[in-house]
Amino acid sequence: RSAGVLPKSYVMSVFKHFAKSKVASDVYPVISDILQRYFDRLADDLEAYSAHAKRKTIEVEDVELLMRRQGFVTDSMPVNVLIEKFLPLEYRKLLIPVATSGNKVVPDQRR
Amino acid sequence: MDEKEAHTQRLKAAVHYTVSKICQSTVAECEKQISKQAVAAIAETTFRQCEIFAKDLEAFARHAKRQTITVDDVKLLARRSTALSSHMQQKSEELAMNNQELKEKRKKNAAKRKSKEMEGNEAEETES
Repeated sequence: RSAGVLPKSYVMSVFKHFAKSKVASDVYPVISDILQRYFDRLADDLEAYSAHAKRKTIEVEDVELLMRRQGFVTDSMPVNVLIEKFLPLEYRKLLIPVATSGNKVVPDQRR
Repeated sequence: MDEKEAHTQRLKAAVHYTVSKICQSTVAECEKQISKQAVAAIAETTFRQCEIFAKDLEAFARHAKRQTITVDDVKLLARRSTALSSHMQQKSEELAMNNQELKEKRKKNAAKRKSKEMEGNEAEETES
């Protein structure tokens, strides 16, 4: 399993964006390994959460619960804020319908 | 607000009492000493951990569209650590067994009572 889960250039650019200091290029194998484990774990957790809600499909709620358990989503930091902070506009449009509907106010569909 | 704080203090005191009991028994087993501060620290950690557990369990129950927290939610909480989750599994099976036994006993008792009542009624009927 030499190929990483994500393309090398993408991983390195994201890592360099968030790292406060210069990044040596030989950290890539380590990051790739960590990412692999992270995604394995992610899949495992999401499976458990969707099974817990007696579903066979992983839905947005499961991911939100996962992020809550990971500590990214808290009472003072809702998912929508994270989406607006970290995702590009086209994904935001997909996830937050209000952003695409002009001035029409659409109630939050996930509640 | 003051009342709430008093309540918190009482809860903390109860946790501290139980923690010190557990610590004493563990310490007696290992033949070591434990300082009061260490016990207090464990008690405080336990209290805060309970807050985290409560929030997580609430989220899990809501996720499964339930109002009541069940054994499944608790199992989900302990899923990450293998030893803990196997221990939980064992305990929950024991609990389920006990519950079933209790239910069966109750059923038997109820059946007995019913049959007794029937007998009583029949006796009354024959008497009359």
